[in-house]
Amino acid sequence: MRLESLINLDRRIVYLLIAIGTLLPVLMPIGFRVTTTAPVEAMFEKIESLGPEDVVMISFDYGPTTAPENTPMAEAALRHCFARHVKVVVLALFPIGGITMAGEVLATVAPEFPDLVYGRDYVLLGYKDGAQAAMKQMGVGIANVFPRDNAGTPLEELPLMQKVQTYADVDLVITYATNIIGDYWANLVNAQFGVPVAIGCTAVSAPKFYAFYDSRQIIGLLGGLKGASEYEHLIVSHYPELRPAYSQAGIYNAMRGMDAQTVDHAIIMVFILFGNIVYFLILRRDRRASRRSA
Amino acid sequence: MFWKLRLPLILTFCVGLVPIVTFFLTEKVPGVSFVRDKVEQYMVIIAGFALLLGVVNVTQSNIRKIEKRKPGWPFAVSLLAGLFVMGTMGILSAVRVGPFQGLLTTADGTVTPFYWMTRSFFSPLQAAMFSLLAFYVASAAFRAFRVRNVEASILMIAAFLVMLGRTPLGEYAFGWIRGGELWLPGLTDWIMAVPNTAAQRGIIIGAALGGASMSLRVILGIERSYLGAKH
Repeated sequence: MRLESLINLDRRIVYLLIAIGTLLPVLMPIGFRVTTTAPVEAMFEKIESLGPEDVVMISFDYGPTTAPENTPMAEAALRHCFARHVKVVVLALFPIGGITMAGEVLATVAPEFPDLVYGRDYVLLGYKDGAQAAMKQMGVGIANVFPRDNAGTPLEELPLMQKVQTYADVDLVITYATNIIGDYWANLVNAQFGVPVAIGCTAVSAPKFYAFYDSRQIIGLLGGLKGASEYEHLIVSHYPELRPAYSQAGIYNAMRGMDAQTVDHAIIMVFILFGNIVYFLILRRDRRASRRSA
Repeated sequence: MFWKLRLPLILTFCVGLVPIVTFFLTEKVPGVSFVRDKVEQYMVIIAGFALLLGVVNVTQSNIRKIEKRKPGWPFAVSLLAGLFVMGTMGILSAVRVGPFQGLLTTADGTVTPFYWMTRSFFSPLQAAMFSLLAFYVASAAFRAFRVRNVEASILMIAAFLVMLGRTPLGEYAFGWIRGGELWLPGLTDWIMAVPNTAAQRGIIIGAALGGASMSLRVILGIERSYLGAKH
């Protein structure tokens, strides 16, 4: 086989291997080991320090495109908050499906805690456009931006929102962000209002947020599926009562997703190595040929 | 001249100054909180109009495409159909007309038409589009990561280590040596926390300075491209 045909390998072969590498671990979970990193542990420890009198604001700033990465981390942190009886205020600032993601995660997690009462323990404020402007105005009054919750109930009728008027009443903001909205929470809400902010982002945006984590503008960082799987591992090991949510067969979670991601990474690395070996063989052959002709 | 040039410039100058000035003034100064709150509330409303502007723009360009039967015009038809069906449902659901009671589920748990459309069409289509990236990234990595020069080699080695270290493979690679399971993840963390953070910080600070200078140019009326080509 000619070396050129190897380096110009039909891309459909790459696609086929990636498809197999994704499907097989989903159908037959491998169960790779999960170890945790400092940015994830920092967010976990922050929620561990909160109790029933504290309030966490969770902003769903992602859509269905990044749901496989963001939804497991959102579910894990919400379970953690509910397990510790921390009050939760949920909102969405992402226009392309943020409110749908918020509704779906709440619909999955809230029924696992039958003692929770909507309006007293958690609230879904809904979606608002104009991310930066909305964030800034919530510092003056959350009701200025969300006069009613997602179901149309005025905020003054919800016991939790009678207590939570501005960021001063919030102990932690968590944003699950797929784009620049995550930056705004760090460099606007944390910088101007002093609220601790944690970010759960896609793996693609994680490198950017390390700068915010290093400068303490965010107190925790869940980067991509790996970050989500670490958080799941932490809550499962600390809260045995949450294990059933992660042991049901056929239910997607980040720890299972990491199997597919690991196999896909291995395939990509093998292809990179293979491509470079062939590239060097071509270089060596061409050099020899030019020496011979000289 | 006044309506099309001077008035927008005066408005931009005044409104642009509000967030800057009010940031440095305490609320004890009369009128500061009133002006700041009003401007911020209007910003939320104007952001909604920006979406409307986008809708008008997409509609105009796609109608033109359909009229001239440009290549791919059937896709423009499906785009407009999706835009208006979902848009109309969204508006009806937000104002709660007839069966359109909200964006998610009703009080008795019934799925609203908007949510049904979102769950059945919008979410799977968006997810399918994005999932194609995995295939393109794999193919592009195979073709692009070549050790052609020093810079490319550094990039490739860093990418290789991070890919390895961000999965359990990084732990297994040297797991047979005592304590070795932490070598690669540790190296990955160092790459992310030190060289990556340094580079990202430079990019962020540069972009922030660029944004601030652009904002100043707009506020001071030096940058006028938003007023149209003529100005």
